[in-house]
Amino acid sequence: MTAYIVRRLWQMLPTLLGVVLLVFVLFNWVGGDPAYILAGKMSNPQQIANIRAQLGIDQPYYVQLWIFLKQIASFNFGASWSTGETVSHVLATRLGPSLTVLVPLTVMETVIAIGLALAVAYVRGSLTDRMVMIACTVGMSISILVYIIVFQYWLAYKMGLFPVQGWGDHFFDNLFRYSALPILIGLVVSIAPDLRLFRTFFLDEINQDYVRTARSKGLSEPRILWVHVLRNAAIPIVTYVMSNLPSLLIGEFLIERFFSIPGIGREVILAVERSDFPVIKAITVYVAAATMIFNLLADLLYQAIDPRVQLK
Amino acid sequence: MRRFNWLLALVCAGFLSLAPWPAAHAADPDKVLHYAFVAPETGFDPAVTRDLYSAEVIQSIFETLYTYDYLARPAKLVPQTAVALPEITDGGKTYTIHLKRGIYFSPDPAFGGKPRELTMADYVYSFERLLDPKLASPHSWLFEGKVVGFDEAAARARETGHFDYDAPIPGFELVDRYTLRIHLKHPDYNLGMILAHEPTSAVAREVIEKYRDASGQVMAHPVGTGAYLLSKWVRGSRIVLTANPGYRGFIWNFKAGSDPGDRAIVAAMRGKRMPQIGKVDIRIMVEDQSRWLAFLDRQIDLLELEGPLAPKALVDGHLRPELAAKGIRLSRIIDPEISYYYWNMQDPVVGGLSPAKIALRRAIAMAYDVQEEINVVWNGEAVPLQYPIPPGVVGYDPDYVSSVHYHPRLANALLDRYGYRRGADGYRTLPDGKPLTITYTARTDSNGTQESEMWKKTFDSIGIRMASNLMQFPDILKAEKECHLQMRTSPWIADYPDGDNFMQLFYGPNIHQNNNGCTEIPAYDRRYEASQRLPDGPERDRLYHQMARILEVDAPILIGYARYRNMLAQPDVIGYKKHPILHCEWLYFDMTKPKRDRSSTP
Amino acid sequence: MNDAVRHSPGLWALAWRRLRADRVAMVALAIVALYLVSLLLSATGVIARHWDAEVGVSYAPPSFLGAETAAQRDAPRIKVPPAPPAENPRDPLGPLLKRLRAERAAGQGGIDYYGIQDPLAGDITKLRAKLRAEPDAGVAKKRATLPFGADKWGHDIVQKTIKGSETSIVVGLTAAFLATLLGTLFGAISGYYGGWVDDCFNWFYSVFTSVPYLLLILAVAAVLHQKGVLTIVLILGLTGWTGVYRLIRAEYLKHKQREYVLAADAIGASHASRMFRHIFPNVSHVALVQLSILTVAFIKSEVILSFLGFGVPVGVASWGSMLNEAQNELILGKWWQLVAATTAMAVLVTAFSVFTDALRDALDPKLK
Repeated sequence: MTAYIVRRLWQMLPTLLGVVLLVFVLFNWVGGDPAYILAGKMSNPQQIANIRAQLGIDQPYYVQLWIFLKQIASFNFGASWSTGETVSHVLATRLGPSLTVLVPLTVMETVIAIGLALAVAYVRGSLTDRMVMIACTVGMSISILVYIIVFQYWLAYKMGLFPVQGWGDHFFDNLFRYSALPILIGLVVSIAPDLRLFRTFFLDEINQDYVRTARSKGLSEPRILWVHVLRNAAIPIVTYVMSNLPSLLIGEFLIERFFSIPGIGREVILAVERSDFPVIKAITVYVAAATMIFNLLADLLYQAIDPRVQLK
Repeated sequence: MRRFNWLLALVCAGFLSLAPWPAAHAADPDKVLHYAFVAPETGFDPAVTRDLYSAEVIQSIFETLYTYDYLARPAKLVPQTAVALPEITDGGKTYTIHLKRGIYFSPDPAFGGKPRELTMADYVYSFERLLDPKLASPHSWLFEGKVVGFDEAAARARETGHFDYDAPIPGFELVDRYTLRIHLKHPDYNLGMILAHEPTSAVAREVIEKYRDASGQVMAHPVGTGAYLLSKWVRGSRIVLTANPGYRGFIWNFKAGSDPGDRAIVAAMRGKRMPQIGKVDIRIMVEDQSRWLAFLDRQIDLLELEGPLAPKALVDGHLRPELAAKGIRLSRIIDPEISYYYWNMQDPVVGGLSPAKIALRRAIAMAYDVQEEINVVWNGEAVPLQYPIPPGVVGYDPDYVSSVHYHPRLANALLDRYGYRRGADGYRTLPDGKPLTITYTARTDSNGTQESEMWKKTFDSIGIRMASNLMQFPDILKAEKECHLQMRTSPWIADYPDGDNFMQLFYGPNIHQNNNGCTEIPAYDRRYEASQRLPDGPERDRLYHQMARILEVDAPILIGYARYRNMLAQPDVIGYKKHPILHCEWLYFDMTKPKRDRSSTP
Repeated sequence: MNDAVRHSPGLWALAWRRLRADRVAMVALAIVALYLVSLLLSATGVIARHWDAEVGVSYAPPSFLGAETAAQRDAPRIKVPPAPPAENPRDPLGPLLKRLRAERAAGQGGIDYYGIQDPLAGDITKLRAKLRAEPDAGVAKKRATLPFGADKWGHDIVQKTIKGSETSIVVGLTAAFLATLLGTLFGAISGYYGGWVDDCFNWFYSVFTSVPYLLLILAVAAVLHQKGVLTIVLILGLTGWTGVYRLIRAEYLKHKQREYVLAADAIGASHASRMFRHIFPNVSHVALVQLSILTVAFIKSEVILSFLGFGVPVGVASWGSMLNEAQNELILGKWWQLVAATTAMAVLVTAFSVFTDALRDALDPKLK
């Protein structure tokens, strides 16, 4: 087991190196020049040159790459160019709000989607099944931007069910007051695709031999679904949920902007607008590493769920 | 023993100012102003920060030598930590400034537990930071080329890599602890306004040296002498300022100006000990819809009404009756800014001073309907300008009439006359028959898109092919400073309210700095140089008038508009008036004490 | 997996028969076809050719709302027809401009040039005199209401939506085609050759999938400086191929061991021939389903790209640019553009997804 984990971690290195190269090429080589925005509105060429020297972007590319690699190895990405805040502090403080929305959202979304998908799989082929599937498709066809604009206007402002926007200092306040509407929107947007996907996972399993065997043994249909099918379908579901989690951190940016949640997604967009390369590079590398680690965790979870899976 | 002396000085200072130090604190902690920033702050080092929202916080914490009168319009310079306006002698080349005694920095561990008085040396240190190459301050232009020996010190620092703060600079003569004499290289009558600009605020050297990062900046630990302290900061989300208990305070005594609303403000505020507001709670709300709904929900007391939201609150520049009925009030000013459209004078297609090129630019200028842009893009929230200097700025001339008018038929006729012939597809070519396409650059946001659409329409109306180029702001800045853009709408807001700040935009030697259109017209440059040697007055105005006419006949630019700034205040806010230059006014107005829990109000 | 079915030429015919039996799918297909017809008509200029004509007043309400009193109260300032500044009665510089107008009537004489010479003075005076002699053509009157309202500029929303549909569908389809092409090509090469080629592509694949999608889009957008419809297609196509790659590679791994491929090898078919002439027809249904899934996804991504400022260029309408404009219109009470774009998009995306599902079921009858 340990040997397996070590080998998997070792195998991540080339991928991570690829990510680092990609990020470096994109931002250090072809990306914009931040010196002009840092120089303010009355700049002169001498000042621009001075800023470029202070940032180290006047160095040859191989030197810049070497510095970047050293930064990654030491987990020290330096400081944001526009605020002077260290990148580690940026990540540490923005992660909390993002997770406050993301974790309950993912848990609720997965549980609800599994429940509904099983129910729909149970009545597969019926009119209900079709109607639910079409409703999901319609729901998915509307842009998240529209959901946010309309929900914020009607549910929060017109009906006063939620705060219009905001973020507090206390975890529970944030979780139950301020995150409620963002989570609701997240659920509306994500349950439909999840439901559709999980339904196909279940249908895949329902057609397997072991289900037929179980039925012939006289097991009740709900028991077959809830125990046997669910257990086997859990593997693709776990993979899907786990591997999606890190990219969701960034993907939440629309919700974070509209509801003034100081999370990672909003920070990334802000950093792109400000050409704040240290922040973008660090977040990209961290999220890429997190994606790989979560994929590994998903594989390890497989085994916990289904001991037949051999870790190679 | 030493400690005793300090205390004695403190007590004396307290008596001198007729308000004993600890009791100076009049602010009521229950009076909380809820405010929203449109964009996230960056940090609070006066020398480095360059965004508007951080500047609002900096102005609350730090103090400059001069500031502006709260009510007087156009903005009037008044002393802040200085005793009086500067004594200008030697034909505008020597400034003598006296500092008030008994002003203290707010306590900080950097001071070793002792009260720390503000002296003129702190100001000199703060000015020197602006030219320290290590800091790469965006505000270095405030002093560049002005003070005797200062640029030389900066040049030495660039060579050695280290700015020597201990070496005296001849131009900054410290007569005593509280007196500074500044010696200038050239006559300059605007230095007083420069010394009211918040990058020249006083910071304490101990604080900087204790908290600075690798590049020498202190973004997260502001220690000043001003009325407020930074008591809570969640980056990009929330900033809480509380009244500084050690602040010396002042009695509200501003004179009403010509504005009819001023009398009510004076009646409500006169004689109050300031500041009154005990806490300013600032949230960052990026999206328009979120901010507007939060204001209606009374989560915000004072709202900056951005363009797209204006029709929701205003009709013809007046507050909607249903909002007025709720007791909401509007404070509306024209920003001291101009937005102008430039053509790159170095560009082979649109640039140059030959008659055919001038005719091309003038035709485009005549075909553009500035008023329509104001109506459609800015929801009517701007005024068209005639003159390069906007209202509220020294040198503005309300009687000046531009010779450029919207006249698309004449524009077409002019192009025909100069040989820009229409081809089979309806688009014109250059007089030599080569294809003619003009690229208009704008930002990627919705305003940029709409401006591009306006120009597309305009160019179509005179048969010129336009390419639209939407770019991220940093990329625009870079291309613009390198004179690579063909045409753009360029906004400029006053750093200090004097016409010079606007006229310098088109001065040849400022190319690659802020002469964005890379304009170089000898007749203009000669007059600009002459104007710099003059104080404000009819003589300088005459030069400015000629320069404005040069901009019209040679058409390197078309003057556009200045936007309104609209602030909406909830009924709780007392005596509020938007100031054109000051970033934040919470030092000067008051609020009623809250009677109920605001978070539960519908 | 039934090989007999796969090999028989009847695979597609069989799928079509199954599809036709599915009534919902046929309705969906009809809707999609309708959109495609409208796309063709607008692309060839038969309909919505003059969508960018400013036919109505700014924010003209839909005709069925009838009276536009509410709208008039909302935006009287905007309704002032484009006119020289002098004609705006609310202009703070009014008196000044009145004087100016008087001077204009008298030619340029009234303006003091402060001694500055106008190099074009002679020409302009002559042209002015000539123009005064010719009557002005006049401007067409703008309509107060339109069938489904107007946007800020006075464009007809119905025509704009039709034109926007054209752009969005073209973007979605071409980007999906590009992504499928890349994914299929990479997947085929990777799965067919195996070995170090496969390792290389796999490495490339894992690098691309580890970087968050949004960051990848922003990065590619930053590299492709030019703005245009083609840029969006490239952004989406270059970042969206990974899913197709994974599936196609798996299919090729499976198929290259099959007898028919080995037989082709024996008769001396080249690698390329085996890859694309022999194997590809047998895995093309996977690519087809992916193509339609990606089309839907990309149509939706275009909206987000527009929000981020990487949308279609100026002078082009798309659902993304319309929704982005409509963002602030809802709080102003101008809901029609939001509703039009959302509905048009929802109907197509729903129909397309339903059809895709049915197509997948028909091509891969394993799932029921």
